[in-house]
Amino acid sequence: MALPGSSRRQPTNRGLVSHCTHHHIAVFLLTFFSYSLLHASRKTFSNVKVSISSQWTPSCLNSTALELRPYELWNSSHLFPNAEEATLFLGTLDTIFLFSYAVGLFVSGIVGDRLNLRWVLSFGMCSSALVVFFFGTLTEWLHFYNKWFYCCLWIVNGLLQSTGWPCVVAVMGNWFGKAGRGFVFGLWSACASVGNILGAFLASCVLKYGYEYAFLVTASVQFAGGVIVFFGLLTSPKEVGLPELGADEEGSVEEDANRPLMGDADVDDDDRNYSIQAADTDSQPKAIGFFQACCLPGVILYSLAYACLKLVNYSFFFWLPFYLSNNFGWKEAEADQLSIWYDVGGIVGGTIQGLISDVLQKRAPVLAMSLLFAVGSLFGYSRSPNSKPINAVIMTITGFFIGGPSNMISSAISADLGRQDLVRGSSEALATVTGIVDGTGSIGAAVGQYLVSLIQENLGWMWVFYFFILMTSSTILFISPLIVREIRLLLHERHLRMLAE
Amino acid sequence: MAEPPGPPRGRSAPLGAAPGHGRSRPGGTGAGAERRARSWAAGTLLLLLLLPPGDAGGEMCGSCPGPLRNGSVVARYCASRAGAESRGRCCLDPGPPRRLLGLDLSNCSLHSLPAAFAEAAPVVVLDLTENPLAALPNSSFLGFTNLQSLAVPLELECPGGSSAWQEVAEHGSSRLCHGQRNPCNSSGELAWLCPENAACAPDGPGFTQCLCASPFHGYKCLREGAFPVLPFCTILGAVTAALSLLLWGTQRRKAKAP
Repeated sequence: MALPGSSRRQPTNRGLVSHCTHHHIAVFLLTFFSYSLLHASRKTFSNVKVSISSQWTPSCLNSTALELRPYELWNSSHLFPNAEEATLFLGTLDTIFLFSYAVGLFVSGIVGDRLNLRWVLSFGMCSSALVVFFFGTLTEWLHFYNKWFYCCLWIVNGLLQSTGWPCVVAVMGNWFGKAGRGFVFGLWSACASVGNILGAFLASCVLKYGYEYAFLVTASVQFAGGVIVFFGLLTSPKEVGLPELGADEEGSVEEDANRPLMGDADVDDDDRNYSIQAADTDSQPKAIGFFQACCLPGVILYSLAYACLKLVNYSFFFWLPFYLSNNFGWKEAEADQLSIWYDVGGIVGGTIQGLISDVLQKRAPVLAMSLLFAVGSLFGYSRSPNSKPINAVIMTITGFFIGGPSNMISSAISADLGRQDLVRGSSEALATVTGIVDGTGSIGAAVGQYLVSLIQENLGWMWVFYFFILMTSSTILFISPLIVREIRLLLHERHLRMLAE
Repeated sequence: MAEPPGPPRGRSAPLGAAPGHGRSRPGGTGAGAERRARSWAAGTLLLLLLLPPGDAGGEMCGSCPGPLRNGSVVARYCASRAGAESRGRCCLDPGPPRRLLGLDLSNCSLHSLPAAFAEAAPVVVLDLTENPLAALPNSSFLGFTNLQSLAVPLELECPGGSSAWQEVAEHGSSRLCHGQRNPCNSSGELAWLCPENAACAPDGPGFTQCLCASPFHGYKCLREGAFPVLPFCTILGAVTAALSLLLWGTQRRKAKAP
């Protein structure tokens, strides 16, 4: 996707050093923590499941005639007859959430491109915080327990939560050019994992006061985040008069002219930049249509690839602790702690692979290499011995090769796709494209959760791993046309350079 | 932000005007908070309509004609207790708060216990003699934790069996059950086994209940302590305001309208 002649500059250095104003840092942190908070409230839900299910069920102490008194204290809650059915319902809520989240992603990307990204993101955070508050806190305070009400709220929550990802990726894509994008986005992709840790921490801190307070705290913090985003987020450099980023390499003439100013841009310089740039930013770009966005080269292929890859990635998130305690008989808390290594591998993998792809200026080949290694590491992990250190090491490697590419497609590559030459200048496509890619991925993930439980029950864990290997291979298959194209471009470039010398 | 306040609900609701009798009940306060918390708005409304507030078991006092019968256990108890006064068939501590101490239902031609009998749960002394009572349902005396002297017709056993009482004596045509035992202390039965965070408490003759042990409260005693609402709101509000101002000042102040 890069222009053949674009390699004449050292992109990584420039993109990272000379571009970095305090606005960039603020945008990086704001978007990072916005998505972290959204993810934290999701994590809270999975962390309070035990408390919720005991709130919803009567106590059945060894089911003898001996009934616990007083009745109101021990048996008055009858939403579900026992904990198993409550767990089943909570699992259903998870699935409902994933599907409505996937559907929402398609919609909110389109909305995000048409309305102000800041408004959409801030609205999404605040309203989904309110829904979480209704779901977890208000129903408990009013003692209003109703299955259908819970389902409806969780569908709405999925739709509202989905505004987050397309908006934050679009904002990040506006601020960080393709040059350093792989590295910056790789680092930035840690936001989901940070959100998980934050959610688990917040929930565990206040769970003793009652599960409703776990929801209250995460919802309040998320609401506060929405308010801060509303007051503090700059959705694009042009809002403060900084030059807008070009399609894949920044418009060189405009950019070079401004470079002296940008080098040491601080508050004083903003005014000057503002006046210089004020004239040429008044043209409001038109948003791209949904089908137009689908037809952009690479969007469909990457979406399908991401559906397969996110399936594997999310299955690891959801099933890894269960697999570890089920297959090796390790304690649940230990398994939970150990499974963090997968996240760590994913963050490191995403960052390093992003950096490599920045240097190469090609993402698909890096992705393909990583996925080939992923197949190997999956095979290795399925035969991991019953030893925690060895398992943790192989898990980290697997996370490196699966989580890394997964992070890269959902963030850096989505941003590349939404800012490619074809949509340059004339239209806004970033959020729409991100929504399409991540939405397809989420559908894959939702279907995957179901398939994994099915396969595990009927065929056993080994077949789950074979299924993962199959899905990873399909990912490679889907991006292979892109690899061929990019390698051809790479060779063509080299050929041109050799001719020039 | 605290749990919604509301009058207590359920079996113990009539006790509302006549709280505990000085007997120590483990986690009693927790249970009270629990009952308040468990109050449904609708249920509360219904109870408020059904029950005259502040009249502790008052309905029972007029259920049988005449005053306290001379020589009954209730009359003796009422006379021996300073400040206690009789009203109808009741012996009351005028309070405040007003408390039902004794109830004399003897010679009332009762074939079964009156429907509102549970309202008499706070009594200390109760006389049921000279009534053609059939065997009483097992749970009749559930919640009679203060009951110290109970006189029943000779045909009937003491509720909860004689093991629930310190002393069972026969006086003519009546049987006197005296001194309720605390079933939680008896190691013979497993009834006092309570779930986590809860402790056994007596709940009438031969009955136990599980109440939340301090500082636990809430449904199934799952909650511990009170959420610091004020500090949380203050800190979160302050941080939000500060960050919003800071970011607006440094980031959005000079931003153009979208």
